[in-house]
Amino acid sequence: MAVRCQFENSNEVGVFSLLTNRYCIVAPGGSENFYSVFEAELADHIPVVHASIAGCRIVGRMAVGNKNGLLLPSTCSDQEMLHIKNALPDDVVVQRIEERLSALGNCIASNDYVALIHTDLDRESEELVADVLGVEVFRHSIAGEALVGSYCKFTNQGGIVHPMANVEHQDELSSLLQVPLVAATVNRGSEVVGAGMVANDWAAFCGLDTTSTEMSVIESVFKLRSAKQSAILGDLRTSIIDSLAT
Amino acid sequence: MVVYNFKKIQTVPTSTEFVDVVLSRTQRKTPTVVHKGYAITRIRAFYMRKVKYTQSTFHEKLTQILDDFPRLEELHPFYADLINVLYDRDHYKLALGQLAKARSLVDGIAKDYLKLLKYGDSLYRCKQLKRAALGRMCTLMKRHTSSLQYLEQVRQHMGRLPSIDPATRTLLVAGFPNVGKSSFMNKVTRADVDVQPYAFTTKSLFVGHMDYKYLRWQVIDTPGILDHSLEERNTIEMQSITALAHLRAAVLFFIDPSEQCGYALHQQIELLRGMAPLFQNKPLIVVLNKTDLQWEEELSDEHRQALAALGPSVDQAVSSGNVESIDVDALLEMSQSKPDDQPAHVVMKMSSLSEQGIAQVRSVACDLLLRQRVDAKLRGKRMSGALNRLHVAQPAARDARRRPPVIPSSVQRKLDDLDKAAMATAAGTSDDEQENGDPDVTMDEDTPIRGEAKNPSLGRKLERDRMWELGGPGVFASDWRREYRDLQRAEWAYDIIPEIVDGHNIADFVDPDIEQKLLDLEREEEARVAAEEEVMEEEDEDGPVLTAEQLERVRAIREKRAVLRQESWMEKTKNRPSVPASRLGKRTRVEEHLEAHLNEMGMHEEDAQDVAEGIADKMPLRKAAKRRRLVEVEETETQMIERKEALDAAARKAGFANANQKAFAKKVAARKQAKIHARTRQHGDGDRHIPNLRPRHLFSGKRGMGKTQRR
Repeated sequence: MAVRCQFENSNEVGVFSLLTNRYCIVAPGGSENFYSVFEAELADHIPVVHASIAGCRIVGRMAVGNKNGLLLPSTCSDQEMLHIKNALPDDVVVQRIEERLSALGNCIASNDYVALIHTDLDRESEELVADVLGVEVFRHSIAGEALVGSYCKFTNQGGIVHPMANVEHQDELSSLLQVPLVAATVNRGSEVVGAGMVANDWAAFCGLDTTSTEMSVIESVFKLRSAKQSAILGDLRTSIIDSLAT
Repeated sequence: MVVYNFKKIQTVPTSTEFVDVVLSRTQRKTPTVVHKGYAITRIRAFYMRKVKYTQSTFHEKLTQILDDFPRLEELHPFYADLINVLYDRDHYKLALGQLAKARSLVDGIAKDYLKLLKYGDSLYRCKQLKRAALGRMCTLMKRHTSSLQYLEQVRQHMGRLPSIDPATRTLLVAGFPNVGKSSFMNKVTRADVDVQPYAFTTKSLFVGHMDYKYLRWQVIDTPGILDHSLEERNTIEMQSITALAHLRAAVLFFIDPSEQCGYALHQQIELLRGMAPLFQNKPLIVVLNKTDLQWEEELSDEHRQALAALGPSVDQAVSSGNVESIDVDALLEMSQSKPDDQPAHVVMKMSSLSEQGIAQVRSVACDLLLRQRVDAKLRGKRMSGALNRLHVAQPAARDARRRPPVIPSSVQRKLDDLDKAAMATAAGTSDDEQENGDPDVTMDEDTPIRGEAKNPSLGRKLERDRMWELGGPGVFASDWRREYRDLQRAEWAYDIIPEIVDGHNIADFVDPDIEQKLLDLEREEEARVAAEEEVMEEEDEDGPVLTAEQLERVRAIREKRAVLRQESWMEKTKNRPSVPASRLGKRTRVEEHLEAHLNEMGMHEEDAQDVAEGIADKMPLRKAAKRRRLVEVEETETQMIERKEALDAAARKAGFANANQKAFAKKVAARKQAKIHARTRQHGDGDRHIPNLRPRHLFSGKRGMGKTQRR
């Protein structure tokens, strides 16, 4: 189920929230509207947690996680970490890592089996990512952008990458990640797909500006609502072409 | 994409308002007090400023108007033509042209009077000149009363024009008056156009929007068109014609075979034929409307024939509104196979009242247009850069590992229930409209922020509801600890846990075995360091193993090197200027050793020296010995000559004939200099002594203005 929402007039949903198959972290805002969008959709199945990281609301950019664990930047305070540990299920490992590139959400993209990391990340961090998240780790860039977390979003079912990624690059990434990939945009043409949306294996949230075409691409590639990925080649094709390059 | 916004044009004042605004602004923004007694230049400047200021205000205001109104040449032809139809192109351009002319005339007047003001010889004359200048400017503006009035009306009307985007996906509804165009519009969009049972209810273009296939579509309702020649058409009809002529849209041509609209069927078909040029290269759907009136049974024979000539209706071809099953290729083929006297079209039956066939008509029109647009885009160059967006990269298997999705069972159950419900509705209802319903509309219902009723998890009290109960945003503070789970006891959630106790961060002591763990860690670290060192040593030992004798030699070599280094250091640290060894003629260590060795071997001392030097210089033996003997004699002679030559050369460079002359000149100069020094009581060239820093003649007496330094 893909849902449109907004965090205090910002469409960058992936900045203010972090969604995995086991838990969801939402930034505290001026009101509870944003939180309740996630709560209504997810709270029956997984914990939806308020949290700040290092006093910042950009939780989705600061931290990265999957069903096995959660990595927090070294700037995260002890109290915040304690709160997150208490709120998350016990078998989810919460770990702080000493990494110079502290916006982990921008530098690491991960599903439950594979992770892409920024090419400049420390070797120790790489090991930690592999251990805590229980994933295979690859150093890679996306369409020339080193910030893999910002420019792609993938779950165990599928993923979207930077719209400028060419076909060969997509195929290469797809084989690396072992999920089908599509080059797409969110929020009416924004290319920072990782920051513009969050998704897990059965739900996705994107900005209020996202067009219907973008929504349907997202729904089909993430296999939400029993949508088929092949729709992008068939039914959706004309709509995508007509909405591109007017 | 150019989006036209005519709402931003600023109000055009009437001529009197215009003059009032400008004059009062001049009065407010320029000085107002001047006296006869002022210097005439000042008086002139005072009035010149007024004239100049008035002129610039007029200029600025007129420029504003001229810039605000769109230039017809720069507009999309649709808008250019629409403005021509509505406001008369000539009139529009004339009005703007007159204002442009007025602007340059005002500039001219100001220029003339400024020139005259330069010769104004009294306050009175200057004032009269200013009055004349301002007066002429105002009179000029008064003459353009009608242009300004006209432009204001145009502005008001343009602000109310529908914002039609000529480039986007558009459905254009056309036909005779009263055939049901606006009813259709109201059904497919939310435009709420006025529908009345008389002709020409719609007097201008109306725009509505709808969603189909995840895209936003623009639907334009046009006023009715009558079947007569272009010259006879009135403004209302011409708007329709303009839209038909310039917008690349799918045209829905409505025909009312029941003739309830008051126009005969053959007239309507005649209009369709007559307008054929306007339908070229556009998908055209001929809609036979008002089927709810049962005209199909009551048709007379000739009407039946006339309709049959248009071709068969495709309602049957389009199976009950299922969007995917529309065969666009078949429709295109059908539309192309028309006799020459008819434009390419598709015939469909529909009733706005009973809502029968509306969805099909819309789908067919949209699909035909979409096909045309997509084909055009794929043919163009711009699409080639975006082809990567139409590719689904499928993974090539890397290993045998399975990576299944992780979906909680509760979610899976819910999804299954939804699927079942969807299948049930699909099987249960045959209403095409519901089935064909826009996917986007159904999605909207899932969009959040609709309150509890549409909340997917019914009955759950959301944080937002709690927020509103407890004071709303800004007042309400969410209880974060309510979400704590997996605690041994639920009440622990609210335990107060301080961050720092007795100067210690409690997070450092949360783990009971922290000490043990630290120890383990340190031990591990030590082990690792030890292991590393071992590896290093092993690497060292990799080289060839030396015997005791060799080791002894190595030690001796090292010792010797240390001694030499020490000696060299002692030599270097002596506090005296050092001369390079080569200059000193000092023998190298190799020479010394060799000589010593040869002596030892029993060679004659001098010979040994020669051999050593010769070998060191790589010279034959005898030659080395000869050189040694010659050097001592010749050196003094050559040295003297060389020095003299060097001195002479230096003197020549300084402009003297030789070194002697230079020495003489120096002597003479010194004598002369001594005389000067004697006169100025200097002790030499370097003497900078000033005997009296404050001489009395410079620091006494009255000072005038600017005389501190010099008097």
